[in-house]
Parts: sequence; C-alpha cells; structure tokens
Amino acid sequence: MAMRPRVAVRQWRWARRAVQALSLLAFTLLVLWTARDVPGPLGAEGLLRLDPLAGAAAMLSLRRWLPAFIPALILLALTLALGRFWCGWLCPLGTLVDWSAPRDGRARTIPRRWHGLKYGLLLLTLVGALFGSLTLLALDPLTIFVRTVTTWLAPGANWLVTQAQIGLYRVGPLEGLADALDGALRPLVLSYKQAHYQGLLPIAGLFLGILALNRLAPRAWCRILCPLGGLLSLAAKGSWLKRKVGDGCVSCGACARDCRMGTIDPARDYASDSGECILCLDCAVACPRGAITFGPNWRYDADWEYDPIRRQALGMLGLGVAGAALAQVLPERAQPHPYRLRPPGAQEEALLRACLRCGICLRACPTHGLQPSLHEAGIMGLWTPILAPRLGHCEYSCNACGAACPTGAIPPLALAEKQRAAIGKAYVAHDLCLAWTGRAPCIVCEEMCPLPEKAIVLETVAVHDAAQGARTLQAPVVLHERCIGCGLCENRCPVQGEAAIRVRVDPLT
Amino acid sequence: MKTLSRRRLLHMAAAAGLGLAAGACQRTPATGQAAASPPAAATTAPPTVAPTVVAPSPTGALPTAQMPAPGATPSPVVATPGATATPASEAPAYLAAVHGEDPEAITRRAILALGGMERFVSPGYDVIVKPNICNANHGYEYASTTNPTVVATLVRLCLEAGAQRVRVMDNPFAGSGEQAYARSGIREAVEAAGGEMEIMARHRFVESEIPQGVDLKSWLFYKPILDADLVINVPIAKHHSMARLTLGCKNLMGCIEDRSAMHRNLGQRIADLVSRVAPQLTVMDAVRILTANGPTGGNLNDVLLTNTVIASHDIVAVDAYTTRLFGMQPDEIEYIAAAHRMGLGAMLLAELDIAELEV
Repeated sequence: MAMRPRVAVRQWRWARRAVQALSLLAFTLLVLWTARDVPGPLGAEGLLRLDPLAGAAAMLSLRRWLPAFIPALILLALTLALGRFWCGWLCPLGTLVDWSAPRDGRARTIPRRWHGLKYGLLLLTLVGALFGSLTLLALDPLTIFVRTVTTWLAPGANWLVTQAQIGLYRVGPLEGLADALDGALRPLVLSYKQAHYQGLLPIAGLFLGILALNRLAPRAWCRILCPLGGLLSLAAKGSWLKRKVGDGCVSCGACARDCRMGTIDPARDYASDSGECILCLDCAVACPRGAITFGPNWRYDADWEYDPIRRQALGMLGLGVAGAALAQVLPERAQPHPYRLRPPGAQEEALLRACLRCGICLRACPTHGLQPSLHEAGIMGLWTPILAPRLGHCEYSCNACGAACPTGAIPPLALAEKQRAAIGKAYVAHDLCLAWTGRAPCIVCEEMCPLPEKAIVLETVAVHDAAQGARTLQAPVVLHERCIGCGLCENRCPVQGEAAIRVRVDPLT
Repeated sequence: MKTLSRRRLLHMAAAAGLGLAAGACQRTPATGQAAASPPAAATTAPPTVAPTVVAPSPTGALPTAQMPAPGATPSPVVATPGATATPASEAPAYLAAVHGEDPEAITRRAILALGGMERFVSPGYDVIVKPNICNANHGYEYASTTNPTVVATLVRLCLEAGAQRVRVMDNPFAGSGEQAYARSGIREAVEAAGGEMEIMARHRFVESEIPQGVDLKSWLFYKPILDADLVINVPIAKHHSMARLTLGCKNLMGCIEDRSAMHRNLGQRIADLVSRVAPQLTVMDAVRILTANGPTGGNLNDVLLTNTVIASHDIVAVDAYTTRLFGMQPDEIEYIAAAHRMGLGAMLLAELDIAELEV
C-alpha cells in the first residue's frame, strides 16, 4: 500500500463504488429473503451479527457473552487494521446517504465540533444497555436500514407492483406481462400478501431525516450522529492503515474541498482524523500531485477538538441514567398495555433486554401481523415486535420469528412448542358481535380457529333485535383454557374497524 | 382399528340409508320451489340405467339437472374411440360413487363410470383443478385438505385425455399458498403427475358479474378459473359449523376474494358462486372425511376413513350424495337447497342414475 499512481487510485475508487452497490444489493436481498416463503438458509439476522454496536449493547444488557456476534468482532478487528472501511465501502445506509447527497454538497461545511455528538450517542446507547434498555439501537444504521426496508420500502414496492399488475392484467394482451412480473418477483423479492405497518410515519421520517441531513453537509449523519460510526471511529483512530499527505503537497486545498467527511484540516497541513476517514479515496483522486497515499501508521489519532473527553463522558453517563429512569417511570412499566401481544414464547423483560429493534422478525412474519410497537410497550419497548391481529394473525403452522431473531429475544421454539405458547387470549365483545347482537348469523371466528380442539365454540342463544325480532342464533364463546391468542379470529371478524373478538394480554399472567 | 370399524358401520348405515334417503329426498323443500326448479330437461343426456345403479328412481324420470353447458364440455358420447374405453356394458352414469381402499383406483373408476375423462377434456384443453387446500397446518391424513392422490389422478387423467395444461390451485384462508401446497402433499403429487401448482396471485382476481345471482350480483373472481376450458372441483367432505358441511359448492369459495363477507347469507351466496363458476366436473374426495372441528381440522379423532370418491358433472348431486356419509339429508344443507332451487343441479338423488361401485 505504498505510493500508487493516480490511475490506480481512480480504479480503487471505482472498486469502492461497485462494492457499495453490491453490498447494498446483497443486504437488501438478505432482508427480503428473511420472508417465510423464501427457501434458503440465509436471512438478515446474519446482517445484524456484523454489527459491533448491536453486539456490545446486547452483551451489556444481557450481561453475558453472545457468540452470535463473532462476525461483529471480526469487523471490529478489521476496522483496527483498515479504519472505517465499513462506512465508506459496505454500510447500506451509508451508501444511500452517499447517493442522496446533493451535487454541490461538498462546498457545505458544518462546525467540526459537531462530530463529537456521535460519541455521546454511542455512550448513551451503551449506558442505556447497561440499564437494560436497547431503545437507542433504534438509531443504529443497520437496524434503521432493515426496519425501513421491511416496513416501508418492501411493502411500498409490493403495492406499486401489484397495482401495475392489476392495471396490466385488465389490458388483455398485457396479461402475460402481469403474470411474468409475478413469476419474477414473488416470492423471492416481493410477497403475496400486502403488508401494512403501524407507526410507519416515524420510521419513514427517521430514514428521510437521515438522508435530508445531507443538506447540511455530505454524510452529515455519518459524521455527526451515527452511533455505530462513533464506535468504529474510536477503533479506526488506532487503525494500522492511515491516510498520509506526502511531500508533494502544494497546499492547493483540493483534498479538503472534496472530503465528504469534512475531516481534512487545512490548518494541520491537510492531515485528517483516521477516526473520520471512510477511505472513500476522493482526496487521493482530487490531489493534482498524487501526494496522498494510504499506508501503515500505528499512531492513535486523539487530538481532535471533538474527541470525547471525561467531562462529556460524565455528562452522557448522567443523561443515560436520567433517561433510563424516565423510561422506567412511564405508566407502561407499571401496567402492561392490554394489546401488547408479544411473539410466541417471548417474555417481556427478556425481550426488552435482547431485542435489537432490527425488525427482522417483522419481515419473517408471513402474515405481516408482527408490527413495530410505538406506544404499547413504552419507550423501553419502542419498535419491539408486537402482534396486531387486525393486520395479520400468528400463523398456526409457522415459527419463523423465533428462527429469524438474531439474539433469541424471541426464543426459537419448535413448531409443536410454539403451537402451545399462548400470546394472549381472545375475548368477544358482545355488543359488537353480529351473532350476539342478533344482527346476522356469523360464525367466522369459530370457523377460523385453527386449534385441533377449537378454542371457540358456538352456543345457541336467544337474540332479539329491532329489525328481525326474537330468534335463536349460534354465537361464539371462547374457551380460554384452549385459546393461544393467535388472533386469526380477530383478523377475520367481518365487523368493520375494531373486531368483535379481540386478543388481549392474558389477564392471568 | 377404530376407523375401520367406524367405516364398516358407516357403509352399513349408508347402504341401509339409501332407500330411506331416496324416499326422504322426495320431500319438497320448505320453500316449495323445488318442483319448478330444473327446467333444463332439454339439455340432459339420454337416461342410461347401468346395471350397477343402486337406487333407481321410483318414477323412472330422466335426470333433471342440467348437463354441463354446451360448448364447455364435449358431447356426452365418448369422443375418442379406443381411449380408456368405458366397458361396453356400462353407459355413462349421472353420478358415480366408488368405494375402495386405493384412492387412485376409485378415482379412475369413478371417472370411467361417467364415461371417461374424454367426455370432459378435448385435446389441447387448459384445465384447472380446484382442490380444497384450506391452510398449511396439517397433512392430508387430517382430512382438512383434499387427498393428494385423488388430485394427482385427475391431473393424469386430464393429460391422458389430451389436455395441454393442467393447473392445480387454491386460495388458502390461512398460511400462504406455497406453504399450504407443500404441507398438504398436493404439490409433490401434482408435479409428479405432470401438473403445475399455481399461486392465486392478487392481480388475477377481477370483478365479475353473476348474471344468475340471487343475492350476489358481482364479486371478485379468480379470472383464470372463469376462463379455463374445464374446471374440475375436487372438494373434501368436512364439517363446518355454519354451513354444517363443507362440500363441493362451498369449495368454490376458494375462487374468490373477500371471503368473510360471504358469511352473511352464506347458503344463498354460495349457490350464487356455483352459478358463476359452474365447474363442469366435481369429484368429491371422501377417502377421509372430517366430522368435527372443521373446516380446519387437526385432530385425528375427528377423521373417518370412508374410502369413497363421488363424481358427477352435477356439483349439487355430488354434494347431495355426500351428505349421506354424515347421516344427513341434502336439504339440511342450505347451499345445496339454494343451488337446487336455482336449477344449478339436482339434489333429489332418487331421480338420478347413480353408479354405485366397489373397486
């Protein structure tokens, strides 16, 4: 890695762009392939296992070593050797941030002190984890990526393609094209069932906000806020491979103008912080003298004005403690929300301690009934999975969420075990139910109940309504000792809006 | 062991009940419209009383239900000489009920008794077979999904009769098509037989008028089913708490979207679906039947091994016959009565030419 001619540098930059695109594609496909219908062993839980921030936070919160995160350790070791190559070459969110930066963005600058914020966010995340809350992993770039693809981009693409298909299908000769789209995209990329996600606006807003930060300066998210960037930055400061400015430098300033991380400092002879350099190679290409090279240097870059200092660390520690206390005194911690239905087998406290908020389980759920909780589990449980039966039930013959979870926050249950694990219990709202109110004969909930011994039975009841007078109808009664709360009854209840049969948390546990 | 003795009991009951049932079926349904219902005698096949007919009509009347719509099905005469020939002694029956332990053999025998698959399939036909694959929860031995051997045998028969393409599909109400096709064993059997499984994708459901509909005037139908040269309906006989039984007519609910809304006035609405989908051949899988906790099943104690396949061009007649396996009368099932009233088929079994066979 000594001196290279500029032609070679250009080739390296092209290689980086290609690797970025391939990596984004691979990560996107990994997320999509987590869906239950797709055959194959690989899912995006592998993606999260690469994440040293998620790994460190989960280990702090669970207070034990998690071998699942060995890939993250390898990434950290590679960062010690090569610097923040992850950010510049592989991170799917980083690539999207790059691609959405305005063309004239390089001219924009932000105060360099702001770069220190990400260390604060990193520390806050780890302090939160120590107090058993992984909520701040919601800001980890990988979880943001998986969550956004899962809840917005994939269902959105699915909707667009389906609408196009419906349109094409109506035009006789184009029928084949509509069918071909199906053959090509489903189930490998899109799903057969259209997903709908609750609380999507904040998820989409966070993603768009990150891209919009580019208006401040290129890669502003990666420079200022990204907590994983912060962790990798602290490692990269001591990396073996570092940027060097050679004797040929004529102080033209081209490299500083072109640096997308804003880390090349004219006041320091155009030196840069290896904790901020993402090895994009733009400076090496920009340098008219070919004076910029990358080579070995073991020095730890610890003299930048935004580097974390003890005072800041103490402040964040205090903020973390105060934040944890705030999250713990919200009412959701005193009394469970009645519809906080956790995936089968998941125990509330264990789930909060282990859930990375990545949303892989949402993608794995074939009915799209697993949803990111917004308020149901308080701040402690933001974007953790809950079942919303109106949007999708827990499929009797499926245990995909537990299999997909990278940390075991949702335990990997065998199917027979999962079929006995109660999520909640169903309750009939007698003043909504078509049968109980006498408005119409209806047994859909009983029909749908998938249990071999149905947990919903029908009773013949005398009903009376103004329109049809007195008569008898079959009306549903739930046998709670059998019900596992899968929510298929609630999902299919023909009553508009809130169903006349609803699954709530088991009143006895 | 238990199922065997149950089965024998059932057979005895069925045999004994035939005469009774025949008589009972003569009762005019409560609505009183039945007598006026099937007006289509002009289109019916010549009556043929096969030697195997168990319950000849006391009146000797012609089969009264409509034959498959002209053009949709080939002529009742066996079209291809030399193909799997009907035994010379056996003229095509109106309905065949075949009993035996080999699902493939009884399926083949039932179709043969109707005059062979060539009666239904012309060379080059695009055929859709519609079994009941209601969910992905259990294998076929739980009797919630159609027997894969019965389905695969029909696929083979169609291909042997010259069909160009045979697709098999259903729209499960829980679990994805992919999962349910695999779990039911139907994918494997159909693909081995040379058929294709098709996922019923959303875009192929189109709003379609139901000209004869009494309650429903239009609904979202799966267009390829409406367009196919031949639709073979292959239900499995199951318990259902509202309809009482899930049979051939109710199996057509897999051809539509927005099923929950069907349950208001279910009987009439199912009959309206029958009028629109009008499958030209219905083959009831009663190898195993589900007697409780249907239509989802999952409990082998609710399963009865009845080793029977019932086939006819008349979906209503097949359903009417199948009620016997549950010790019921056709007019106890609302959709059978409604379809009969609309002239979509015959539920008065005593008037039909039924081939009752053992293999």
